[in-house]
Formats: sequence, structure tokens, C-alpha cells
Amino acid sequence: MSVVHVMSLSTAAAEPWPEKATLYQPLKEDQILLSDSASSLAVQTFLRMCGLPVQVSCCANAEYMSPSGKVPFIHVGNQVVSELGPIVQFIKAKGHSLSDGLDDVQRAEMKAYMELVNNMLLTAELYIQWCDDYTATEISRPRYSSPYSWPLNHILAYQKQWEVQRKMNAIGWSGKSLEQVYEDVSQCCQALSQRLGTQPYFFNKQPTELDALVFGHLFTILTTQLTNDELAEKVKSYTNLLSFCHRIEHTYFKEHDRESQSGSPQSIVDIP
Amino acid sequence: MGTVHARSMDSYPMHGRDLGVNPDDLEVMEAVQETKQEVLENKDVVVQHVNIEGMGRTKEDYLGYEISDVFAARNLVEVMRKSHEARQRLLRLGIFKEVEVVIDVSEGADALPNGLDVTFEVTELKRLTGSYNIYVGNNEGSMVLGIKLPNMFGRGEKLTFQFSYGTKETSYGLSFFKPQSGYYERNFTLNLYKVTGQFPWSSLKETDRGFPLWMTDHTLKWEGVWRELGCLARSASFAVREESGHTLKSALSHTMVIDTRNSAILPRRGALLRINQELAGYTGGDASFLKEDVELQLNRPFIWGSVLSASLWGGMIYPLGAQPTSIADRFYLGGPTSVRGFSMYSIGPQSEGDYLGGEAYWAGGLHLYTPLPFRSNKGGLADLFRTHFFLNAGNLCNLNYGEGPYAHLQKLAECIRWSYGAGIILRLGNIARLELNYCFPMGVQSGDRICDGVQFGAGIRFL
Repeated sequence: MSVVHVMSLSTAAAEPWPEKATLYQPLKEDQILLSDSASSLAVQTFLRMCGLPVQVSCCANAEYMSPSGKVPFIHVGNQVVSELGPIVQFIKAKGHSLSDGLDDVQRAEMKAYMELVNNMLLTAELYIQWCDDYTATEISRPRYSSPYSWPLNHILAYQKQWEVQRKMNAIGWSGKSLEQVYEDVSQCCQALSQRLGTQPYFFNKQPTELDALVFGHLFTILTTQLTNDELAEKVKSYTNLLSFCHRIEHTYFKEHDRESQSGSPQSIVDIP
Repeated sequence: MGTVHARSMDSYPMHGRDLGVNPDDLEVMEAVQETKQEVLENKDVVVQHVNIEGMGRTKEDYLGYEISDVFAARNLVEVMRKSHEARQRLLRLGIFKEVEVVIDVSEGADALPNGLDVTFEVTELKRLTGSYNIYVGNNEGSMVLGIKLPNMFGRGEKLTFQFSYGTKETSYGLSFFKPQSGYYERNFTLNLYKVTGQFPWSSLKETDRGFPLWMTDHTLKWEGVWRELGCLARSASFAVREESGHTLKSALSHTMVIDTRNSAILPRRGALLRINQELAGYTGGDASFLKEDVELQLNRPFIWGSVLSASLWGGMIYPLGAQPTSIADRFYLGGPTSVRGFSMYSIGPQSEGDYLGGEAYWAGGLHLYTPLPFRSNKGGLADLFRTHFFLNAGNLCNLNYGEGPYAHLQKLAECIRWSYGAGIILRLGNIARLELNYCFPMGVQSGDRICDGVQFGAGIRFL
């Protein structure tokens, strides 16, 4: 996670949340991939939990518009902030926070679990998308390159694939097989499931950014069609995680959609 | 009978079409000095042989067209003139270091009493040459290192690799050039390049990887460019941030130039008309537009050695299809090389201090160039300087294409920016000029950035 300039955050703290805050992500129908969709949903969930309205805008060049090169990013007043970590800090500077009620031990625990999700789940998603040849050829490269014309589409798709593969090399995942990756996902889900237990949220009654992050990833895994269903099956085997996803979807998305009455562009699909 | 030696008139060879050198730079030679030999002036002669000696890898058939004219000469003076012209043509091919002409009486079994033999003694360029140049563009300078393989296959082909490091951009490129035999102006060029440019007036960074190929003689060009736009700083305005990303432009362009001026820089007389159109999108790529660009310049000598000059520029870009125009394709106005008195490209639509360019513009200038006062003698360093009084005006805006042409003209006519002032010009060879002006900008609209007072400019194309 990159750290955003702290100075700009402090000056932004004084301004209230504007009506026209916008969240940018790649094109929903044709372009966005699993990992980006999960990150975007995590940020959207977090903002809904804080009660801050935001419009979702889909652009083909969202990745290049972002100051850090990663999606999603939000454009609030004059500020542009990308990725969940910096966005949480930015929102905190504005006076909204979900984790105020936690003590230091719990906060450290929350950070540890968020790191777990980022290092395990997100990396596994990237691995499956770009390092598994079949998925890369059938899904990732065609989708990633869909807004561009020939021959730029092929060049950009291969560039992105090589970049992710180099990153996997650097963190030591390139030696893993697909089976091992699925195993890692399963272990991660087990750890999350154990921490959640029978509670409604990870830290008992109140949702925190950890809940938003976990929901974003798990829900996207469950509702995205990949080349096979193994990843979704791994998640489904933990029933408390399933009901956790249902609960958050019901509380923050169904209700909100009923209230707003407009054809929301991000209609959430039902979990099968 | 003795030998007549017609030696070279000037000491430097001329260059062919180089990457980065404007065709306007090739100097038009003034009238040839003729050494008249009184005795032989009216004597009829026949040119029997025209030889070329000293050729290594050049193919003979390639040079045939250049020297064929010499055969048509009927008397000695014409022979000398046509040989001189043929020598110029051989030099401009860019494959010989030196060409000398020797005219002698014919010898041999079939020699006529009034027959002449003309021999061109040529020295070919080396197979591989390196070069180191400094270029001056519009307010930027760059250092260029090049490797050239002239006359690769014997018919004038040239392969060049250039690496350029400049104040505003770095680039490298590979270029292949092949002229058509007999018609040097018609040639075929293939370029591959990568250019990174920074545009601080728009907080924009642009990286182009391109693939243009063109034929000259009413230049027709196809260009494929992969552009990558990014923000120069975190503080770039959101309007510029929205343009970040990759685009592919595949465009056909046509340029027509009519140039009757006696010099490209500080002409004394003549006119220039340049019309350029570019159509993008029909040969692939993301960008889709039709762009027109017109440049007109008229020069006329005035009283006391001064020159009056008027120029007019105009252009318009019309997006085809649903996508709006990209910031990289739009026009920009302002700066020491266009409307003086304003900062570089700092006129027109802008967002938070970043200039976004416009879809239509016009600019006009009226200049009076005078030689420096109180010069003691003609020639020398003072000849390179001029003093100059100018009046510039222009406008840049976006048009609403739904309305008719009358509405467009009205929009271009409102909020005109203009400026006047005086300054000194220094001429650099035949390629560039430096200007130091004192400007008074007027008609400034909110959002424009001005540079009133002293403004310095260097470049090759000025309003």
C-alpha cells in the first residue's frame, strides 16, 4: 500500500464531503478484472458503511488516471486519492472513521488481518488472472485490452501480464502451482472464518474497514465467472463467511438501492 | 586544343533530406557566374561522352538521369552551365562528398572536331558516418547523436539512427530513406521513433512511439503513433488527468507548400503558402478527426532597406465519431514564436492553470524589419541582426460544431488577444533565429498567462 502525502490530507480535512464525489474504475461490462473489481467493491462498501455518498464512474483509462497506477481512486473536491489504505486515512482526516471504537490491540489485529487479505487473497487473484495461461488467454488479456484498437491492445495486454509475472517472481509466487494457490486461499479463508466465528462483523457489533475489504474480495470471488469454479467453491465451504457476505449485501446494498430508486449502474448480482 | 577546366563554384556539398531538416532550408542558388571564354563563345559543340569516375558502390543507372541534360548543350557556355547544374544535382543526392567537373575535347577514334567530353570526378561518402549536431527548435534545444549509412545499396538509400537529448524531449529513431531514380523530390521514407516530451504549460508528459512513412512532392504521409500521456505532477488539473493513458493514432496527412521567398529566415521578398490536412481514424487507431492547418506569409521590401511582412495562421480540428479530441491533437497559441507577449502556449481554454488547447485558432502578425541603424559597412556581423516592430493578434477556442459557420466566425472574432512591441533579431545560419523583444500584451482574457516586458525566443517558425 502506498502512503499518500500527509500534508494534502490535513488541508482537506476542513472541507465537508461534497455532493459530487466520484469513484473511478475500469469499464464494468467489458474491461474490469477480478482483482480490480474486488478492490473497487471494497472501497464502495467502506464508503457506504461511513454513510458517504459517491458516484461510480467507469473509464477505460482509469488505471492511468490514478496517481498511484492502481484502481479504484476517488475524486473528492480537489483531491485525488487511490487505494483503500490511503482512502481510509483520507476519510479519517475528514472526521469519519469506523475503527475509532477499537482499542490498540484490536487495531493492530485489524491491520494484521487486512495485510493477510492483501498478501493472500489479492495476490492469489492476480496469480490466477495473469500467471495461469488458460485464464490469461481466455479472460484476462481479452478483457484488459478491449477498449484499445489493434495492435495496441495486444501490446498493452502482454505488457501488463509481464509486469504481474515479474511481481510474482519478486515475491516468490512464481514457483507455486495453481493447486498450491487454491490451498493458500483456503487457508486464508479458514483464518478469517475462525476470527469471525458467530459474530455479525469481525469486531463484534460495528463494521470496520476490515469487513469492507473482506466483503469486497469474497463477494467478487463468489459472483465472478472464471474458467472454473474452484476458487468460489473454496470460499463457499465456510458457511459463516457466506452468511457474512449476505448480511453486508443486504444491509448496505439492497437497502440503499431501494432508497435511491434509480437504476444503479452497479446492480449487485445475487449469490447463487 | 587546350583543356578547359570548370572548377567547383562553391566549397561545401549540399545535403539531402535529413531527419529534422526542413525542406525550406535548402538554399536556392543565385545566378551562376559564368566564365566566358570570348573565343569559343559562339562556337557550336557537341557533347560526345559524359563520364563519371570514382564510383565505388553507386550504381550507374541511378545517376543517368542527373547527367543526361548535359548532352543537350549546343555551345560551350551552355555546356559549362549544364555541367554545373548536373553537378548540383549530383551533390544534392547526398551520396558524394565532392564532385568535380572536367570538360575536355574529345579524343579517340570517333572524336568529332567540335566534340567535347565531360567527366564528373566524384568522391563517395564513407559507408558509415557519425554525426553530432545541436538543434534549435521553438524555444527548445537538443543535442543529437547520429549514425548514418549513406548510399547503402548503391541507389541513394540512406539508413540513419538518431538519438536526441533535449531540454524538452528525448527521443530516438531509425529512419530509412529511398529516393526515386531520376526524381529526387519524390522519395520514400520510413521512420520508427520513440519521443518523450514534457509540456509544463499543460502539466502533461507525452511519450510517442511512431511509425510514419511519407512521399514528398506535395508531401503525402501516413503516420502511426502510439501515444502515452501522463501527468507531470500530482497537482495536474483533473481535466488533464482525464486524458492520461494510451492512444493509438493512425493518420493520413497531405501538405502542400508554395514558397517563393528568397530565404526561409528573414526573407526580403516573396510569399509562402502552406496547407496541411490530416485525417485520422480511417486507417485504424483510436483517434478520429480531420485537421486543417494553413500558413500564409507575404514579404515586401519597403523604404530604406526595410522589409514589411504580414503573416496569417489558422487551423481547425473536427472530431469524427463520438470521441472528443485528445489534448495531444489540439492547437496551442501563445509564446515568443506565435503571439508574442504571452507565455508559451498559454492562451485559451485552461483548467486550474493547465492549458488544454483548442479546436480552432487563428493568428496574424504584421512586422517591419529594419537593418540595424548606424552600421558602418555592409556585410559583417551587423548583417545578421535586424530590428523589428511587430503587431500580433490571435484567438484560440473550442467550437460548438452544431452551429453554422457564421457562429464559428463570431466565436473566433470575440475576445481577440493582441500585442505590439519591438525587438532585435539575430539570424542563425539559414535555419533559425533568436529574438529579444519588448512586448505589450493587450486584450488579455482571464486565464491567459502573459509575459509583458522582455521576452526571449528562439526557433525556426515565427508568426
